[in-house]
Amino acid sequence: MTSAANPSLPANPGPGGLAFARGLPRALTIALTAAAVLAPLSLILYQSLLSAPFFDANKVLGLDAYRFIFADPDFWRALGNSLLIASGMTLIAVPLGGVLAFVMERSDLPSKRIIEPLILVPSFVSPMVLAFGYVVSAGPVGFYSVLATKLFGGVPWGLYSVPAMAVIAGLMHVPNVYIYASSALKNLGSDVEEAARIAGASPLQVAMSVSLPLIMPALLFSSVLVFFLGLELFGLPLVLGDPEGHLVLSTYLYELTNKLGTPSYHLMAAVAICIVALTVPLVLLQRKLLQNTRKYATIRGKAGRVRELPLGRWKWAAIALVCLFLLVTVVVPLSGIVLRAFVTNWGLGVSVIDALTLDNFRAVFEEPTHTRAIWNTVLLGTIGGAITVACYTAIGFATHRRNDAWSRIVDFLVLAPRAVPGLLIGLAFLWVFLFFPPLTPLRTTIFSMWLAYSVVWLAYGMRLISSSLMQVSPELEEAARTVGARRGRISREITLPLIRAGLLGSWLLVFMIFEREYSTGVYLLGPGTEVIGAELVSLWQGGAIDVVAALALINIVLVFIGLAGALRFGVKLRD
Amino acid sequence: MLTRIALAALAAACLPAFAQTVPAGYPANYAGTLAAAEKEGKVVVYSTTDTKAAQPLIKDFEALYPNIKVEYNDLNSTEMYNRFIAEVAAGQGAADVMWSSAMDLQVKLVDEGHAMTYVSPEVPKLPHWAVYKNQAWGTTYEPCVFIYNKRLVTGSDIPQDHASFARILNTESAKYKGKVTTYDIDKSGLGFMFFVQDTKYFAGMKDLERGFGKTGYRVYSATGNMLEKVSSGEHLLGYDVLGAYALVRAKKDPNLGVVLPKDYTLVLSRVMFISKAAKHPDAAKVWTDYILSARGQKVIGGAVELFAVRNDIDAEYTAAKLDKELGDKVKPIPVSAEITTYLEPAKRLEFLKDWKAELAAGAK
Repeated sequence: MTSAANPSLPANPGPGGLAFARGLPRALTIALTAAAVLAPLSLILYQSLLSAPFFDANKVLGLDAYRFIFADPDFWRALGNSLLIASGMTLIAVPLGGVLAFVMERSDLPSKRIIEPLILVPSFVSPMVLAFGYVVSAGPVGFYSVLATKLFGGVPWGLYSVPAMAVIAGLMHVPNVYIYASSALKNLGSDVEEAARIAGASPLQVAMSVSLPLIMPALLFSSVLVFFLGLELFGLPLVLGDPEGHLVLSTYLYELTNKLGTPSYHLMAAVAICIVALTVPLVLLQRKLLQNTRKYATIRGKAGRVRELPLGRWKWAAIALVCLFLLVTVVVPLSGIVLRAFVTNWGLGVSVIDALTLDNFRAVFEEPTHTRAIWNTVLLGTIGGAITVACYTAIGFATHRRNDAWSRIVDFLVLAPRAVPGLLIGLAFLWVFLFFPPLTPLRTTIFSMWLAYSVVWLAYGMRLISSSLMQVSPELEEAARTVGARRGRISREITLPLIRAGLLGSWLLVFMIFEREYSTGVYLLGPGTEVIGAELVSLWQGGAIDVVAALALINIVLVFIGLAGALRFGVKLRD
Repeated sequence: MLTRIALAALAAACLPAFAQTVPAGYPANYAGTLAAAEKEGKVVVYSTTDTKAAQPLIKDFEALYPNIKVEYNDLNSTEMYNRFIAEVAAGQGAADVMWSSAMDLQVKLVDEGHAMTYVSPEVPKLPHWAVYKNQAWGTTYEPCVFIYNKRLVTGSDIPQDHASFARILNTESAKYKGKVTTYDIDKSGLGFMFFVQDTKYFAGMKDLERGFGKTGYRVYSATGNMLEKVSSGEHLLGYDVLGAYALVRAKKDPNLGVVLPKDYTLVLSRVMFISKAAKHPDAAKVWTDYILSARGQKVIGGAVELFAVRNDIDAEYTAAKLDKELGDKVKPIPVSAEITTYLEPAKRLEFLKDWKAELAAGAK
């Protein structure tokens, strides 16, 4: 996480007791983080080594679970598909996200203020909903497909193959890369780029050989994150993988809940442990690649001024790229959802006008659980999101400009939960809340949902915070140190005020992520903890697709309102 | 005198609002159960029937017993099972009543000793196959149906029985390539249960499985998905679909056609039991009795749009009407130990293996 230049501050010398007292907040922060992450993860590990649910009296310790899944051809097929999809989407999302960030940050592209929130749309709509939107609009009998059949006599695309899923997933994750890449670019003075431009490089050459290599740490981090997200991808393959029977790891996990008749936790846990094992080398690789982080340090004391690069004749290419991206990832799926929300039925030979209705929305508002879900989701995103950002900030300070073993442990702690599919980590949280007595009274409150969300999205949020922290050049902190301020005081009086704008931006991004999260909440869902994302999964299973479409649309509108309001009141997405 | 009669009548009319009277035909000591239930004040129900569908039941129950609130949780069948066993193991049993369409999982929980024994006064009115050890009761009578797209499938292509479904698959496999759908046998416990029952009644099951393989059938874990895709025309035929949902959708969706198979129609019954660990055991009894009562069944067959399991009910969807239409071709899946046979992993995997072998043979 602490990837840019970060000379460690020397430890504060002082009387032993005092030093201990000053180290206490940090130790406490790290301990709490470790507890929140390791409690569910170790339960999963333990469960994978048993033959029955861990609370069952007949359980036996052993490796049978691993033996079963390794002998199951479905596991290997799922693993293959997952690796294919995860690498495919990384290959699509990272370059595209990087180039989009470059165009948005550096070029004189018109109407950037409008385009930017649109680019982020896929990151705050639940992938399950987006995938369903694609089915309605571009599936075999979707309305664009019907149009295409009329025009070209056939549908030149397909949705249900593994490569198609990789492409769609790749496009959906462009915003994840974009956010990190553009905030890294913001920190980069544009003097080097101008030099390249003067030397005759085209904008593309500037992007490829100057700007993007300079933000390598951000790109590498987002590659790893996108790959992780690819391994745990659930909603998309649930909707698009079913028709042709393509399994991925998380849908295989889902299959295991029924394959043996009763849910086989030990098998599910074993699969999750395999995924976590897959991600360990990735994290190590990332660390190795970034070992020599100093060479990326371009912000020293005074940041260079950023000047827009004139794109010249490349402008149209850039505009076309942005528009194509928005068309495929935003317009196509969202138009599908909007249409579905307002009709009773659709498809081949159906006149949409005859099928128009508002009943779907009536059904949402007639149902108290749905209105409670809307309310809870908003609460979780706004107030919950703020508390989450506060926690992330505390963790950020605990590792900020420290390069000791503890920071390295936190680095891994932060990434690990995201490697476990949301469905299972949610189940593990249910176990924690059930079997750890101090927490049991909180199980049926929205707190359980909040904790699970905050742990699952640690990697995403921590990166936002630490990149804000990195922006504060060490000189300022060192100056405060020279006049005798201690670490805690420097954090409170120098660093924190300086990153305020960055924290507000992170809050907004965390809000959006929390609004869309869906699989983590499935098992924690209950009276008092209804959230839209998990309700959507449950309704989807139950078959109330009318209500799914209407509720999903309401969710999207809510996030838009939040986003527009925040931007209007001066919150910047990135500082 | 007149005023006195009027007053008495008024008092009688108001009476139910203050204290519950024992329903007709119930034993006199039921008054004690009612009083205890009202003292408990609520009943927690875990159910696979979604809240929207169950709302009329909840409202009617709360109108009848204003002092007992219903805390209703809708979950899918596996989530429900997962939560129940985890909560019971943690000593925090939250559900008083379990009500699920996963008949086999329910019976398994009963066999593992999670259910309370209770002789409901409504039992004599239920068909004998719907009562299990006085611990679990079948509450609905939902046919398992075929669905088709009305715009695109017509005439003799509409399968009327299992044999014609198999024939259409095998003789017109080019036309139906990728256009036939059913439950995913790996992911859907419901689908698995239907297929196992099919092997009991339909000798040509292997032809059907090969036909599925030949047409490259599409499978889903959720009923809604199948209804949506047959309605849109992405798929044309659906096999063994939960009929209650299909009929409800067909009522307002002109694209969707529903067939009750003529040779035999499987019938699923949502199973209800009272948790042994119930925190509101008396309220749970009152709720269960209500669901099995003529009044509750009338709501199930009416506004809830599932089928009433009792034969003495007049409503839109009832067992009586189905029986009249199909006679002895109706084959209810019994609430019995038999249906848990395939929850034994080895047996289940064997069934899956055979199923897949036939699919592969058909695909060749």
